Amino acid sequence: MTQSQPNPHPTPSAASLVSVKDVSMVFPTGTVALQNASLEVAAGEFISLIGPSGCGKTTLLRLLADLIRPTSGSIRIGGKTPEEARKSRAYGYVFQAPTLMEWRTVLQNVMLPLEVMGVPKAEHKPRAERMLALVGLEKFARHYPWQLSGGMQQRVSIARALAFDPQLLFMDEPFGALDEITRENLNLELLRLWRETGKTVIFVTHSIPEAVFLSTRIVVMTPRPGKIETVIPVDLPQPRSFETRETTRFFEIATQVREALRKGHGFEVQE
Amino acid sequence: MLARLRSPNLVPMLVVALVIALLYYPLMLFANLPVAQRALDSGAALECDSALECATQLRSPVLPSPQQLWKGFANLLFPLNSPNAIPLNAAVTALETLVGLLLATVVGFFFAIGIVASRAFERSLLPWIVASQTVPIIAIAPMLVVLLGQYGVQGWIPKAIIAAYIAFFPIAIGVAKGLRSPDPLSLDLMKTYNASSWQTYLKLRFPASLPYLFTAFKVAMTAALIGAIVAEISTISFQGIGKMLAENSRAADVVATWVIMIASAVLGIVLVALVGWLERVVTPWKR
Repeated sequence: MTQSQPNPHPTPSAASLVSVKDVSMVFPTGTVALQNASLEVAAGEFISLIGPSGCGKTTLLRLLADLIRPTSGSIRIGGKTPEEARKSRAYGYVFQAPTLMEWRTVLQNVMLPLEVMGVPKAEHKPRAERMLALVGLEKFARHYPWQLSGGMQQRVSIARALAFDPQLLFMDEPFGALDEITRENLNLELLRLWRETGKTVIFVTHSIPEAVFLSTRIVVMTPRPGKIETVIPVDLPQPRSFETRETTRFFEIATQVREALRKGHGFEVQE
Repeated sequence: MLARLRSPNLVPMLVVALVIALLYYPLMLFANLPVAQRALDSGAALECDSALECATQLRSPVLPSPQQLWKGFANLLFPLNSPNAIPLNAAVTALETLVGLLLATVVGFFFAIGIVASRAFERSLLPWIVASQTVPIIAIAPMLVVLLGQYGVQGWIPKAIIAAYIAFFPIAIGVAKGLRSPDPLSLDLMKTYNASSWQTYLKLRFPASLPYLFTAFKVAMTAALIGAIVAEISTISFQGIGKMLAENSRAADVVATWVIMIASAVLGIVLVALVGWLERVVTPWKR
């Protein structure tokens, strides 16, 4: 058994892609969603934010994406403010729900960001088709979203987030609503995508095995008030496979995460 | 599309029509028998012997018998282009209704966007919109026609405007609801694309409002039809279902009045069916 190493000021490299310094978020209701959070993310990392409901993990992701503004502290994404990063389309965002548009076919859904961003029209279809092939759904291009299973819909939404080739991918519990079997398959697929595209991923989850399996580092967060408890590096070798989940090291890291959560009273986490 | 027309819904539809036809006959007899009996008792010169027989052929029945309706239809259906027959007049009323609906859609969208875009717009204008709908159309129609007449707007156009006047309300409310229907995550998604307000309307809000629009269209279509007919009745009209109704009720032709009422009901069914067909064409993603 490995003791969890408290790591209050994680600084992986000098040139961080994402830099969060002392960020706090207090909602008008007085709820402290996030308190003095600091985090540095290097390009190419796969970071999981894990913690129970109310620990501020989604809040942190929404702050990075400029969907909300922090009460205090500073955030830089590639040296820009979140607003500048959003306006320069620096990141793709995958939500908890697939948020596909029911009136668009699968292919048209993937083309949506390209249309909005004014990508030359001739590129829309080939790019969207390439993205669908990447998530293994090229045969479903002409289907409407309702004709797809929940897992397939979420893959479409990942293809859509990748369509405009952002450097960063924010994912907010994208597989939270899916069954365990589908989820493990999509985890594997996501890792393959991450390796092939070289994106930087920041991934919110409340599943310990998912976080350990996917991440290069796990940010453990605890609630009331929401804060970063510790950051746990995951040294499981790449490429990972189904067998990775059965190794001793996997369980050791999972235990480390679990103990960090317990220490911060975040024990309502799904096992 | 053909498969939809040959749907199994046809059977229940026919059953309901048959039940109504079967129920109508005894109801008609029940309504007409006292009148027929009184006519017999008064010793009027009738071509029938029993009250039961007379009940089906009264000149001014409470409810016309199927035979009378049949004859009435035969009289009023032809010639197609006669100013006194149903087809031409129904076509005029349909035109007024459709143009009214079109106008109502434009105005309805305008108000819906205003309601969605600005709380102040909603607060300050919605009460007036609601008030406009509570004014009896029969009272306001003649005034509108006089007003429009001063500017040379005559004939079927004032009727279309009156139809639009009562049809824009359900459209405005329905479309406003539809424009607000996208969930917060979809709106966040557009924000992550740095989409402009116009793009969010074009790519998200408008398409999302279409199912609501068509529901509103069905309500608005019947409202517009009633508006057009009431406008025809309550103003000087030379054409239209309303003008026929007014003429025949002045002439106390009960059978003809019923025939025209049924014709306008059929017109309503056809127009609403048209909306349903348009909905299937425009929203093919629906199951």
